[in-house]
Amino acid sequence: MSVDANVETTSALPSEGGLAASVGRAVFEAIDSASQIYGVLVRTLYYVARARIDRDAVIRQMYEIGNRSVFLLSVVIGFIGMIFVLQAGLQMQRVIPDLTMLGASFLELLVRDLAPSIVALMLATRVGAGIAAEIGSMVVTEQVDALRMCGADPVDYLVKPRFLASLIMTTMLTLWSGAVSVGSGMVTAEVIFQVSPRTFWNLHLVHASDLATGLTKCIAYGAAIPIVSSHCGLSTFGGSEGVGSATTRAVVQSSLAVIVLNFIISSAAFIAFK
Amino acid sequence: MISFRNVCKSFGPKRVLTDVSFDIADGEVFFIIGASGVGKSVLIKQLVGLLRPDAGDILLDGDEVSRFDEEAMYAVRKKCAMVFQHSTLFDSLTCLENVALPLRKHRGLGPREALVAARERLSQVHMQEFGDRYPAELGDGMKKRVAIARALTLDPRYVLFDEPTTSLDLVSARRVDKLIRELADRLGVTCIVVSHDLNSIFGIATRIAMLYKGQVRLLGTPADFRGTTDEIIQQFIQGRAQGPMET
Repeated sequence: MSVDANVETTSALPSEGGLAASVGRAVFEAIDSASQIYGVLVRTLYYVARARIDRDAVIRQMYEIGNRSVFLLSVVIGFIGMIFVLQAGLQMQRVIPDLTMLGASFLELLVRDLAPSIVALMLATRVGAGIAAEIGSMVVTEQVDALRMCGADPVDYLVKPRFLASLIMTTMLTLWSGAVSVGSGMVTAEVIFQVSPRTFWNLHLVHASDLATGLTKCIAYGAAIPIVSSHCGLSTFGGSEGVGSATTRAVVQSSLAVIVLNFIISSAAFIAFK
Repeated sequence: MISFRNVCKSFGPKRVLTDVSFDIADGEVFFIIGASGVGKSVLIKQLVGLLRPDAGDILLDGDEVSRFDEEAMYAVRKKCAMVFQHSTLFDSLTCLENVALPLRKHRGLGPREALVAARERLSQVHMQEFGDRYPAELGDGMKKRVAIARALTLDPRYVLFDEPTTSLDLVSARRVDKLIRELADRLGVTCIVVSHDLNSIFGIATRIAMLYKGQVRLLGTPADFRGTTDEIIQQFIQGRAQGPMET
């Protein structure tokens, strides 16, 4: 569970071999990586529960994660809202030439899945890369070692503020992005399909279970992105090449975590609320 | 007293240290020298748990610190400070906050109390007027002095210096040497210095250990090193390009 262990990570398996060795090595590394990520999560939760929270550090990270992502997210989710309404409208016209449920279907999908997942995937790219690059640079310049010498656990000092900030800001950004997407979808529905905003704003298909599912996803993604990215940063090895590699791994693994969590939470919600 | 007993360390297939053994007495200025990549920094980082030995024992005042877990290591790091090669001050903190950090984390002092004590430490290295500056605004020599002040905040009994004079001009380098010698002579602090700097080595060392191919090639006083007939050691201390030394 110790974070320092990952600095010394070396594969115990041979670097050469056939297909079986390659698959075995990949599985071994995936299990090892998952167990280290779990270790970082447990230590982070321990420090959240037990140690003093540096409010200034959390606010600084909230600004980094939230405020600096608003523009990018607004543009992306705005366009996605337009594209979804356009495509859904075109498909509906082919099957049943009645678009009164266009808004209702879109809002249900938005609340349950689209807003949290798109926001999380964008944050995995922008914020995940940033966290891994920042912590990875600190590792290769020995600043993380210096932190440990100063009596500060890197998980407490570096990961905890990012974790808390991400939990809060992922939820905030999802709410904001949902609003932007509704707005852009509404305009598209009105301009392309002549569906009035009043008809579009139909919440009949949005149930408490959809809200619960969406909120659960926000929290899960908000926790997963900083934990996975911080782990990638803390396990950086080598110089600037190592930081580049850690950044790439953070984006890939965070995105993968979002997709896997989406599947797990959606399946659990389907079973729980059917 | 510090003892390294048959310490071995590898990184993947690369064996860095093989059966390294020696003792360091209290109050010594002990230099660990050798070519780049020979494992000098790896050796001292194992003493404070930043790296773990694959085999062998490291004893600090009789305790087998190489078997300590991360929690137990925090007690070791209180009495055993380290000055890193590139100063490693935290960019987001001012010099004063950098120096105050160990006081807050190790001793649990409040922010104000820690800053007062940190200001005092900075004045000991003549950096008090730069307390509110960020590391990026300082030169290498000044950063090094702040890093030394940070390492000394907890009044450690042992200080590890990882190439303390690298990237410093000659005057700053000699000031650092003087500071290390004074720590040992006036305060009885045991200083372990990893260095290539021949001026430092022969200027302030009490004893020297030279690592070569992962093992101790010679352990002795500066006079022993000057007088040895070992060609490899002579090549290293004379800084000759030609010779039997493999790098």
